[in-house]
Amino acid sequence: MKTILAILSLTLFLTTALAQQKTPPAPGAARPLNLPKITEKKLANGLTVVLAPLPNIPKVSAILTFRSATTATDRKAHPGIAQIAASVANEGTDTRTSKQLKEELRSIGGTLSLGSDSDSTTMSASSLAEFSSKLFELMSDVAQHPSFPETEVKLAQENTIQGIRAGRADPGFLVNERFQKAVFGDHPYSFVVPDEKSISALTRGDLRAFVAKYYIPNASHLIVVGHIDVDKTFAEIEKAFGSWKSGTVPPDENPPVPKRDKRQIYFVNRPGSIQSAIYIGNVSIPRKDKDYFAIRTASTIYGGSFYSRLTRNIRESKGYTYSPFSSSNTLAKTGSFLAGAFVRNEVTGPTLLEIFYELDRMRVMPVTDEELNAAKEYSTGNFSVELASQFGLAGRINTVYTFDLDKSFINDFRPKIEALTAADIQKAAAKYFDTYRAAIVIVGDWEKVKDQVTPFGDVTIYDSEGNVVNKTASTD
Amino acid sequence: MRRIVATSIAVFMFMTAAFSGTYAKPLNIPVVYYKLPNGLKVVISEDHTAPVVTVGVYYNVGFRLEPKGRTGFAHLFEHMMFQGSANVKKFEHAKFVEANGGSLNGHTDFDYTNYYQTLPSNRVELGLWLEADRMRSLDISEENLKNQQAVVSEEVRVNVLNQPYQLFEWISLWENAFTNWNNAHNGYGELSEINAATIEDVRNFFKTYYAPNNAVLTIVGDVEAADVKKMVEKHFAAIPSQPMPQRADLTEPPQTKEKRVAQTDKLANLPALATGYHLPPQNSPDFPAMALLVQILQSGESSRWYQRLVKEKELTLDLSGGLNYFGNEFDYTGPMIMTTRMTYKPGHTADEILREIDAVIADVSSKGVTEKELADAKVQYRSNFYSQLESSMGKTHLLSALALFRDDPQQINSLLMPFENVTAAQVKAAAAKYLIATNRTVIDRVPEKKAADQKGESK
Repeated sequence: MKTILAILSLTLFLTTALAQQKTPPAPGAARPLNLPKITEKKLANGLTVVLAPLPNIPKVSAILTFRSATTATDRKAHPGIAQIAASVANEGTDTRTSKQLKEELRSIGGTLSLGSDSDSTTMSASSLAEFSSKLFELMSDVAQHPSFPETEVKLAQENTIQGIRAGRADPGFLVNERFQKAVFGDHPYSFVVPDEKSISALTRGDLRAFVAKYYIPNASHLIVVGHIDVDKTFAEIEKAFGSWKSGTVPPDENPPVPKRDKRQIYFVNRPGSIQSAIYIGNVSIPRKDKDYFAIRTASTIYGGSFYSRLTRNIRESKGYTYSPFSSSNTLAKTGSFLAGAFVRNEVTGPTLLEIFYELDRMRVMPVTDEELNAAKEYSTGNFSVELASQFGLAGRINTVYTFDLDKSFINDFRPKIEALTAADIQKAAAKYFDTYRAAIVIVGDWEKVKDQVTPFGDVTIYDSEGNVVNKTASTD
Repeated sequence: MRRIVATSIAVFMFMTAAFSGTYAKPLNIPVVYYKLPNGLKVVISEDHTAPVVTVGVYYNVGFRLEPKGRTGFAHLFEHMMFQGSANVKKFEHAKFVEANGGSLNGHTDFDYTNYYQTLPSNRVELGLWLEADRMRSLDISEENLKNQQAVVSEEVRVNVLNQPYQLFEWISLWENAFTNWNNAHNGYGELSEINAATIEDVRNFFKTYYAPNNAVLTIVGDVEAADVKKMVEKHFAAIPSQPMPQRADLTEPPQTKEKRVAQTDKLANLPALATGYHLPPQNSPDFPAMALLVQILQSGESSRWYQRLVKEKELTLDLSGGLNYFGNEFDYTGPMIMTTRMTYKPGHTADEILREIDAVIADVSSKGVTEKELADAKVQYRSNFYSQLESSMGKTHLLSALALFRDDPQQINSLLMPFENVTAAQVKAAAAKYLIATNRTVIDRVPEKKAADQKGESK
């Protein structure tokens, strides 16, 4: 009995061992990437309209970007006004209450939301394709005639204040807020959320004036992707947005970009933390900079993909963390490069050591051909996946118009990535992975981890509200 | 040049045909479905929108079936699936996929665990080879287990233990709402139990559940079904099937009285409230009406609870939740609760909020919903459904769930119909039957700091 069983299992083993191929199968012939045809048009009021048919599902997806309504806009008089305006703009118009607006959206299978960031305010909206004209009507109403009802403004002010208080318990919120402030200093890009006093001070009149002045068609673009017919859709857009009055485009501001002169630790004390949330980085480059592709690819190799150096080191080899990462965030005026990890208290110091080691390794030695080729495939392959979804494609087109990139950006992406050499990557890393002048931001329990942190530089300690509570020098 | 034009016109026509009509009608998504002799279910769906493909493997085991004393084990095991197999070294799965222009991940859920990669479509065989290699010959070592126990412990710290609220609307709510251990226990896992797992546990779990006859392999994208069939045969046919163990009994005794739980939170700054109502099973005639009722009550800013609690009464900052905490109506099999989570404003109480929640329910169960409200909810439902089908991964997910739990992925084309046929009377009846206090669990979670402050003030 025993013998038979043994023979049986041996046979099974041989069959399976023979059947399984030892090496990865070779790729087949590449299938063609048929990018949707992108059509650009302009309305008489100056609104740029970009249309791309992508009939993968019977829906339509749209992004309307107001390029003059940024978090920097009117920041001296009304800090945070762009953010509050964006959150209340879809809570009622001259002819629709908030509730009516939301119900009309539901009736077309729609969504419509606004958000503001460093370079623009964007309205993202979608609906079933059969209701596209209604969707444009609602978008246009919110863009042109938001009424900012007194009760809605008051509610948004209160909820924003409470929401920020709730956020201050979250290490992810705190580490991002302190990082933006550390890296961008006095530059408006350091803005994350307004303080409570600024929020409370805003009036309905302020918000109406802000929108009238900055939500203007001649400083905006509308991207529409989906199950559309270009001519018919353009006619619907013209009808909905044609009456939008143009305004005066405010002059472009160019406040000086900060430059860090030394390495510094910014520690947000959160007593009771069982992990240290770590962000390390520095100012980098604006989106239009020629080094965009090099720094992006350097980040992919360093910590921007799953099989990256940082993940292999502090996750797969050392088990310090779950999800280490790096990212290159390039914006209109400047940008930042950032490496991060959330690690248990006990390995805070060793993690800093490894993050810096891997950063320096990128600066000092060229990446291997294997790593470079993998990063190129990863970037170009995932770019194709992104372009196959309505909001993915709309988002890509939106960056072209927000950052004034070459119109050929989407087609140039692959050749530009493919042209990169190991020397390009090393040069970008040497310049932008600047370990000597890095900002080190940590959210954690100071008493538990201070001895691991202080060897890395001078420390300024903050509370979760952002107040400085103490400074220490590494030489103490 | 001409060839390209012809291709894109064909694609356009095909897609139009797949989703035609103003009102929901059966779709026309192509589905090839069959089983290999070893029991592996295979689903292939061609989609020529873009030159990409998703290869997904769904195993019919989630955290409900993990062993007692080993909370979090199904998820820990998911991590072990990236630690190498006979021909793929530790973590090289990620290397192969990314270096070939793809992305990958895995996810552990109540009733399934999935692994997937989206790749350029000409690399489909690579995805099949990688999945076959680990299904057949997972490499399990002590060192890798230790490493992943550390990684998963950090995952639990970052997502649960070091966070305000600690995912109480999932973990605590399930622990309290359910009585059967399989349903009730913490699926993310207690750190002590995650770290107690042994190499033998890993081997047994792999042998028991990671067999071809307990899995679905789904391929969606710009491929030819006939070619893919051959590749599937080549890589998967020789993987031996395994005897399936008796499935654990997941049945849940009916709840007869409301459960109320008070908790304090060391890290949160604001109080929060979560509710969970037991749902009828998916094959119940009440289920489609219940799904639309969930939508009417709490999906989006037009929903009744959002309007009442956030806008009219200004009691809560937010309101979120749905019919299945992680997924949708189709990707689970065991008992389920509808969950709702709200952060509420200091100075208010859980009772005030529950009063409003109940008033909205009372309104629906006595007066019902309007025809217009129901019609709009159906439009929204359809719109959300289409969005799930947009990506190759979205389709892979739905097809896999339908194959895994219903043995019928073709249902993807008629899935909307039962929801489309729901009447206002059914919605009203569902509210009266299921949204009653005795069928629910409520957790009120208050900041510890605030609880202490209030004590101080009252002195």
